[in-house]
Amino acid sequence: MKPGDLTKQNGEWLSATGPRHEIVISSRVRLARNLASFPFVNKASQPQRSELHRLCRDRLLSLPGNWNLFYVDLDHTEEVDRQILVERHLISKQHTSGEGSRGVAISADEALSVMVNEEDHLRMQVLRSGMQLRECWKTADKLDNMLQEHLDYAFSERFGYLTACPTNVGTGLRVSVMMHLPALKLTGEIEKVFRAAKDTHLAIRGLFGEGTEAIGDFYQISNQTTLGRSEEEILDEFSDSIIPRILTAELTARSILEQERPLALDDRIGRAIGVLRNARLLSTEETLYFLSHLRLGVVMGRVTGLDIDTINKLFLQTQPAHLQRVLGRTLDGESRKAARADFMRQKLQARPP
Amino acid sequence: MKKCDRCNKPATVHLTEIDNGIPTELHLCDQCAGETGYIQQAHIPLNEVLNQLLQAQNRSAKADGLRCEECGMTWQEFKDTGLLGCMKDYDIFAAQLQGVIESAQQGATRHTGKCKESPTDPNAAVKLRQAELNRLRKDLARAVQRESYEEAAKLRDQIKVLESSPGTD
Repeated sequence: MKPGDLTKQNGEWLSATGPRHEIVISSRVRLARNLASFPFVNKASQPQRSELHRLCRDRLLSLPGNWNLFYVDLDHTEEVDRQILVERHLISKQHTSGEGSRGVAISADEALSVMVNEEDHLRMQVLRSGMQLRECWKTADKLDNMLQEHLDYAFSERFGYLTACPTNVGTGLRVSVMMHLPALKLTGEIEKVFRAAKDTHLAIRGLFGEGTEAIGDFYQISNQTTLGRSEEEILDEFSDSIIPRILTAELTARSILEQERPLALDDRIGRAIGVLRNARLLSTEETLYFLSHLRLGVVMGRVTGLDIDTINKLFLQTQPAHLQRVLGRTLDGESRKAARADFMRQKLQARPP
Repeated sequence: MKKCDRCNKPATVHLTEIDNGIPTELHLCDQCAGETGYIQQAHIPLNEVLNQLLQAQNRSAKADGLRCEECGMTWQEFKDTGLLGCMKDYDIFAAQLQGVIESAQQGATRHTGKCKESPTDPNAAVKLRQAELNRLRKDLARAVQRESYEEAAKLRDQIKVLESSPGTD
C-alpha cells in the first residue's frame, strides 16, 4: 500500500464506531523508545541513522502474528504523500519535514503506526475511534514487548525508558484524547474546562497537536508528565476521571443550548449548512469552523439526511493534501479554495436536505 | 499602539476571529487574554515549557566543560535544543538534569512504571520501588552514623516521597 491509496479509506479513528464517538473523536496512546547501542537521533551520524532505520524496519516487518504492517520510507516519498500521512495523524509534522533516513510502519486499518527516526528511534502510536484508551494501550504494550525481545532498549532503573527529551522520560507514554466540544465553546464554558485542566497538569491543544490553535472546536487532551506514575495510573486517571468529566460538561452544555437557546443553536447550524452548501471559495479554517457546527447539528439530531461518518470523512477529505489526491491534481491558493468549495457543494448537495 | 478592548491597557495579543464567516478583530492585554482564555499555559508546546525551565536553571550546578565523550553533547547544546544526545547524557549531566526533570515532571524523580527487565510483570515497578526504598533506608542509617546530617535530611526527604507513592509498604 502507498500513502495515496489511503485516501480511499476512512481510517479506524475517523470511522465513528468507538464508544462515545459523537464527542470523543479518537483515543491515542504513544510510546517513545530508543535503542541502547545508538546515540539518540539528533546525535546519530548518517550511517548510524541508516543502520538504525534498517534495523527497526526489519524488526517491524518481521513481527510474528497478524500486525498487517506496510512500510513507508519517507526519504523517498513525495511531499503531498507525506502530508497525507500527517493529515491522517499517522506521522507528526516534525517527521515529514525531517531529513535523512526515516520512515513509518502503518497497519492496514491505520490503527497502528510506528515512526522510525523521529525525535526518538521509535515512536509507536495506537489510534482508535472513540473512548478506547485501554484498548489502545493493550495493543501498544503488546507491540512494545514483542519489539523488546529483539531490540535492546535504552532504560535506567531510575528514569525508566530514556528519551531524547526529558519531558518524555519514564514511561515514554503520552495518552491523548481528541474531543469535539462545540457546545462548551458556544456557551463560553470551555475556559472552565481549560482552567481545571491546568490544575491536573494536562496539555490541551488544537486538532493537529503541538503548537496549533484549536480550530473547529476539536481539542486534544494529553498528559504532561511521564515520570513517577505507572502506565495504569495514567490510563485510569484519563479513562475514569478526566475525560468523563469533560464529556459530561459538553453534554450538559448541549442540553442547555437545546432547552434555553434552541433558536441560536439552529441558527448556527443553519448558517453552517448555508455556507458549506453555497460558498464558492472555502479556506481550510473556515471549513473546519462550519463543519464543526454542522457536525453538532447532525449529532444532536437537528439535521437530517447526513450521518457522522460522512461529516468525519469531509473533515479529512477537505484537508489540502487529501483534496489534491482525491481530485488528482496539484492546487494552490485560490484554486484550492475553489476546488474545496466545489467538492463540499457536491458532497452536501447530493443528499436530501 | 492598540489598546486592550477590555481594560484600555496596551494590547499585546491581536486576534482575528471568524464568527459566522465574518472576521472580527480583537485586541487584548496579557492579563485579559489570560482571563478570557485566549492565552493558555496548556497551549504552549512542551518543548517551550522545557526551555523556560532551562532558562530558570541557569544558576544550577555548574556544567562548564562537561561534555559527553560518547556523543559530544554539552549542557549548553542541551539548553539550546532541549534534546539529549545519547543515554549516557542522563548520567553525565545527572546533577544538572535533576532539577529540570523534577520541574518538567511535577516533582517526580523516579520511574515507577513498566520495566525493561520484566515488561509483562505488573508488580515489577512496585518491586523496584521497594528495593530503592530499602537502599535509601540503609544509606540513611549510615549517614546518621557518620553524623552527616545534611545528607541524612536529603535521604529522609527522598524516602518520604517514595513512601507516599502507591504500592509501597
